Amino acid sequence: MLPLLLLLLRGRKSKKRTILLTGVSEAGKTALFSKLVYGKELESYTSIKENSGFYSVASKKLDIPIVDIPGNDRQRLQFWEKFKNEVRGIVFMVDSSKFQKDVKEVAELLFVLLTDPAIHGLKLALLVACNKQDITMSKSAKVIQTQLEKELNTLRVTRAASLDSTDSSGQMNRYFLGKEGKNFEFSQLSPIKVDFVECVCKSTGDRKADIRVVEEWIQKIA
Amino acid sequence: MLDLFTIFSKGGIVLWYFQGTCEAFGPPVNSLIKSIILQERGGDNSFSHESLTLKYKLDNEFELVFVVAYQNIIRLSYIDKFLDDVQKEFRDKYQDVLNTRNYGGDFEFTTEFRQILKNAKEESEAQGKNVKMRTFDESSKSKKTVNSMIKNAGTDDGNLSKKKTSGGTDGSPKKNKKKKKNKGGGNKGLPTNGVTEVQEEPVVSNGTVEENDIGEAEVGGTVQEETRMQKLIRRGIKVEPGRKKDVKKAPVKKGKQDRDWGINGNPRVDSSLDYSNPKQDTTADSEVAEDDVVKMERKNVGQSATIQNLVEESSDEEEVLEEEEVTLKQKAKPQKGSSYGLFSMFSGLVGSKKLTKEDMGPVMEKMRDHLIAKNVAQEIAEKLCDSVAKKLEGKVLGTFDRVATVVRAGMEESLVQILTPRRRVDILRDALEAKSHGRPYSITFCGVNGVGKSTNLAKICFWLVENNLRVLIAACDTFRAGAVEQLRTHHRRLNALHPTSKGSSQVVFLYEKGYGKDSAGIAMEAIKYGNQLVTLIVFTARDYNYDVVLIDTAGRMQDNEPLMKALTKLIKVNQPDLVLFVGEALVGNEAVDQLTKFNRALADFSDAQQPRLIDGIVLTKFDTIDDKVGAAISMTYTTGQPIVFVGTGQTYSDLRNLNAKAVINTLLKA
Repeated sequence: MLPLLLLLLRGRKSKKRTILLTGVSEAGKTALFSKLVYGKELESYTSIKENSGFYSVASKKLDIPIVDIPGNDRQRLQFWEKFKNEVRGIVFMVDSSKFQKDVKEVAELLFVLLTDPAIHGLKLALLVACNKQDITMSKSAKVIQTQLEKELNTLRVTRAASLDSTDSSGQMNRYFLGKEGKNFEFSQLSPIKVDFVECVCKSTGDRKADIRVVEEWIQKIA
Repeated sequence: MLDLFTIFSKGGIVLWYFQGTCEAFGPPVNSLIKSIILQERGGDNSFSHESLTLKYKLDNEFELVFVVAYQNIIRLSYIDKFLDDVQKEFRDKYQDVLNTRNYGGDFEFTTEFRQILKNAKEESEAQGKNVKMRTFDESSKSKKTVNSMIKNAGTDDGNLSKKKTSGGTDGSPKKNKKKKKNKGGGNKGLPTNGVTEVQEEPVVSNGTVEENDIGEAEVGGTVQEETRMQKLIRRGIKVEPGRKKDVKKAPVKKGKQDRDWGINGNPRVDSSLDYSNPKQDTTADSEVAEDDVVKMERKNVGQSATIQNLVEESSDEEEVLEEEEVTLKQKAKPQKGSSYGLFSMFSGLVGSKKLTKEDMGPVMEKMRDHLIAKNVAQEIAEKLCDSVAKKLEGKVLGTFDRVATVVRAGMEESLVQILTPRRRVDILRDALEAKSHGRPYSITFCGVNGVGKSTNLAKICFWLVENNLRVLIAACDTFRAGAVEQLRTHHRRLNALHPTSKGSSQVVFLYEKGYGKDSAGIAMEAIKYGNQLVTLIVFTARDYNYDVVLIDTAGRMQDNEPLMKALTKLIKVNQPDLVLFVGEALVGNEAVDQLTKFNRALADFSDAQQPRLIDGIVLTKFDTIDDKVGAAISMTYTTGQPIVFVGTGQTYSDLRNLNAKAVINTLLKA
């Protein structure tokens, strides 16, 4: 009985407050995490476990739990499943310098996250952080937004036509992204609010790391 | 020497690193993580990336990874121990910090690291020095039991055997004799009986080399070699009876060998052939030897029996250990069962326990058997269990966790990782993309005979047509009787199901050229024929606006070289967008063989720099296997490629996506 109570208490405490850092591999999730939580830039490799820590907002006297989940394709959905029920906001990291190459993968991940039944109808905040703006060839947030919209538009058609799964439990929950009959736009996602920002998580040479916009966003939604 | 040593958390945050060369910081380690740790190939802890060899160690208690990288031309014998030492030192130093999982602090480890490295180097150098000549007493020969020398008794010169037997004739037990010998050799009075020798060895070898004692010094290896020798010797004793026979034969043989005949047919009168005197000697010797042998034998009668006993005992011991384990477990279980009281809960909170390999042993064994019973290939079940054991070793068990539950959870996690595709396969999306570029999207199906290539091709065709794509089927199976007719039937049926308005061409088109006529040159013809056919097809598809080309190939056994060459050529020339391997879910161990051989053939017979390999798997006959879903795991583990489709029946609509969760649940279900 007692452990059950404890579990309940603990469960309630951490519920729906977490900011989840997600995105494909090598987008800069762990870099952003170390900048937010430890306040400095740390070297990092491919994560095989989540990082979790707290970001303190001085003005509101709050400690916001931040979880950085692995972005490699074998694990990202597994960890998403694990943390999706505690999410208050999602920071979706995009590597702007490699966006052209990764666009399908990025869009597909975003599609899976957005169509997950666990977040339907929730008042979530989604921040698409276009990282690595210091690299010359990187795409701007505006370009990334339009390209993602276009890609998601295609994806919702092809995904709707994908086969049933072998599970005998029957139909997959097919949620249609956006408004039917219209081209997809992020604004159709309400009540999920989507923002696009540009940031730099690692200083290179004279260009300093700049994640102020991300911090502002977190403070706003906290 | 070392190019890179890095310590990072499992979350990927680097805590400390040492860089020997300026390059190679990220990519080698990332590729180690992606291709070894994430693919559950963790049984072996080394990995090579370009010119580097990487070794890693997981610390599951503090969730750390230790990676060392060095040039693979250098052989560093101390690396494994060095990794262990660094891990220990690092844990000790930062235990408190690591417990809080706070990786933001400063981890200054350079001085300790250098010290450990220096020690490791010195140690290995010291070991290297041991390769020098040793005294007789240090050599493994001095430790040989007399019994093991019996073989030499007949063949060695008489002196030696006499010397030996002089000790043995008084009937004193083996140990006594040995002690005598040791004293004579000045072995610092260390007792040397079979069991303790191994541990003593370093002490002996560290001692000064007494040069005047070099009798039969042997240029031997390190301590390990010595232990190996000891084992061999002991084994030698076990097979005593066989050896005795040799011994008896040896002197007899000696008399008959090597007679040198002169040119005229008479034995050459030569001092070397003058057996008159020495011959008597030798016979005398051999008599003596045989006498000795008999004595030895007599002694061995008792001894070998005891040794055999020992062997049995040791196995007995194992059994006893196992039994103890079992009883321990049995004891532990009821304790756990009764420990749901309030107080025991708190004691449980305090007394958390680390998971060791021994704890997991029996559970892992069971898990492995379970996987095999579910049709996972044996080899893969073993690798998986090794990898999971490595992943869990050292993990701290929670209050209410049982080993079995933890292992099961770990296995589940690993299986999910394996079944989650490494790369994106979305045929519809890619077909649309290809369409927008004005070229057809082509898929080649390959596999062994009778797995259902054509049937599933037809199902996939149906699905594509349902999604408003126009499909062209290429009948490249040009030898099995009825293969083309089969496709023709499918083609007719599919078109009948999707009638088009008049004027426009049909949604499915079958491109066929009949069968190869000459059965002898069929392989050659198939290559030519296949090529012509398919290059033509792509053009045809372009002209008639077909969006997808499905290429049906003949079934072939993985060992059939000419046919595999033909397939490779077909794939090389046509460069399909997707190469699908069709495999049936019924296979067990064979799955691994098929896939590795197909992949190898595609790699070997292709002269391209980056040969096309299998991109995905179609798992067929999934409805016939009940809960034995292991083939799915075997196949994805072997290739690392995703299962794109699952065939579940006879009709066109019996095509599914794989539900990883459902498969894993069935797999782990008792």
